Amino acid sequence: MKQTPELDLVQSKMQPGVLTLKGFLGSDDRKLADILVADQQSFSRLGITPLQAAERLQQLADLGADLMEEEILVEQRYRIKVRDDRGKIPSPWGDGLFEKGDVDLIDNSTGETLKWNRLTLRLMSVHGFCGGVDSEYRLDPEKLMRILDLKPEAQS
Amino acid sequence: MSPIITAIVVISALTGGLTILLLIAEFFFANYGEVTVDVNAGEKTLKVKGGANLLSTLASQKLFLPSGCGGRGSCGTCKCRVVDGGGPLLPTETPYLSDEERKTSVRLACQIKVKNDIKIQVPEELLSIKEFETVIEKITDFTHDIKGIRFKLPEGETIKFKAGQFANLFSKPYDEVREETSRAYSISSAPKDNKAIELIIRYVPNGMVTTYVFKHLKEGDKVKLIGPFGEFFLRDTDREIVCIAGGSGLAPIRSIILDMIDRGISNRKATFFFGAVTKKDLYYVEEFKEIEKNHPWFRFVPALSRDDSDHPYSKGLITDVVASNYSDLKNMEAYLCGSPGMIDACEKVLTSKGMPKTQIFYDKFS
Repeated sequence: MKQTPELDLVQSKMQPGVLTLKGFLGSDDRKLADILVADQQSFSRLGITPLQAAERLQQLADLGADLMEEEILVEQRYRIKVRDDRGKIPSPWGDGLFEKGDVDLIDNSTGETLKWNRLTLRLMSVHGFCGGVDSEYRLDPEKLMRILDLKPEAQS
Repeated sequence: MSPIITAIVVISALTGGLTILLLIAEFFFANYGEVTVDVNAGEKTLKVKGGANLLSTLASQKLFLPSGCGGRGSCGTCKCRVVDGGGPLLPTETPYLSDEERKTSVRLACQIKVKNDIKIQVPEELLSIKEFETVIEKITDFTHDIKGIRFKLPEGETIKFKAGQFANLFSKPYDEVREETSRAYSISSAPKDNKAIELIIRYVPNGMVTTYVFKHLKEGDKVKLIGPFGEFFLRDTDREIVCIAGGSGLAPIRSIILDMIDRGISNRKATFFFGAVTKKDLYYVEEFKEIEKNHPWFRFVPALSRDDSDHPYSKGLITDVVASNYSDLKNMEAYLCGSPGMIDACEKVLTSKGMPKTQIFYDKFS
């Protein structure tokens, strides 16, 4: 994948202080095209898809919605808390505005955590962007597969 | 000097020279001169220097369109109808416009360059929006993540707003945030208190403006505010009122209740359900209890969803508390302010008790 001028523009909007305080990349200094390719390869190797992961995360988020930030235990395993905040956040790809608010998940069986919101789900499912390697909202394919018990699509 | 270094130096010099030439050319040749912006068919005629975008051009003339991103083309809120002179629709605008808006010449003001005479239409109420260079008079820590801030307007200036409306607060560049940024917050003070504005702000983790407010602002600082904006305000009817809020959503409800007192509206019963998780998340309780004591038409019902301690408040989710208080809501109207999740849950409860959706008004934090 080439780092096109369009991806340059998207990556410029992912920097800290442009659309969000900390940006989308953490300390990841790779070109956006390289980040996308690396995660695409991880998903392929694992046999799962970004859409599959996003749908599972959305399903879990829906279970915690309407509880006004109360934590809920789901499937006797996940502690989920959905926080809503005022306002909307734009996609760095310029393809929409997404309501703010984070979902925090703790896997009680391992203590591992995941954090996402409506925008980061969109970035993963539509653009294949999972966040810079150490960014706060990183949705690492392997971690997703492990925590969410995702099965390779052919086997599911 | 090696040929490679020589080539780099020559190419850099040429590029630099061309850039300077382009800048000079733009200065001399891309001068659009004075152009006219006609607002609402002659209601206002602005003579402006061409070349800037419509949003900033209008702001320079003290006509403020709502903008959540400060003109970066990323929020899609600075919409206005461009009747003539706006040029073709740009690809940067299309994601933010519906088919209906495109058909009716609605455009994003931040994306249109004012190069020639232009005719626009904006909602009438926007013409009364003003910019204020305020001074922070007082900051109050209400809870661990909610602050109340009182902004004093410049000497001699006043603000006219409807209780329930909001203002845009601007943060200055700080740390890695290199540009001025603005966000909308509901006004919590009464319209009668028109020499100042009070806002209630909840900290948003990693929020660009709330981080500025919580980590950098202090009493005495100067802060830019623009307002008022918004369609959330008390409707002029005789219906009994149900107000529901959570967290910083208390702000516009407080303004509405204080305004009812100031305007002597005592013929409408009003109940304010304020939802919080634990006692430490409640604030303004004493003030609302005092109002309840002095005004028989007002009732205050704080509710805690997860506090097993001994307390005098209602217990449970605010939706359940509201539901348990009413059997038929068809002749009442509701004013809600809070997160989208809370609003949706409340709307379900209210409609299930017979309240028509047309009698439910909300500020959905979006």
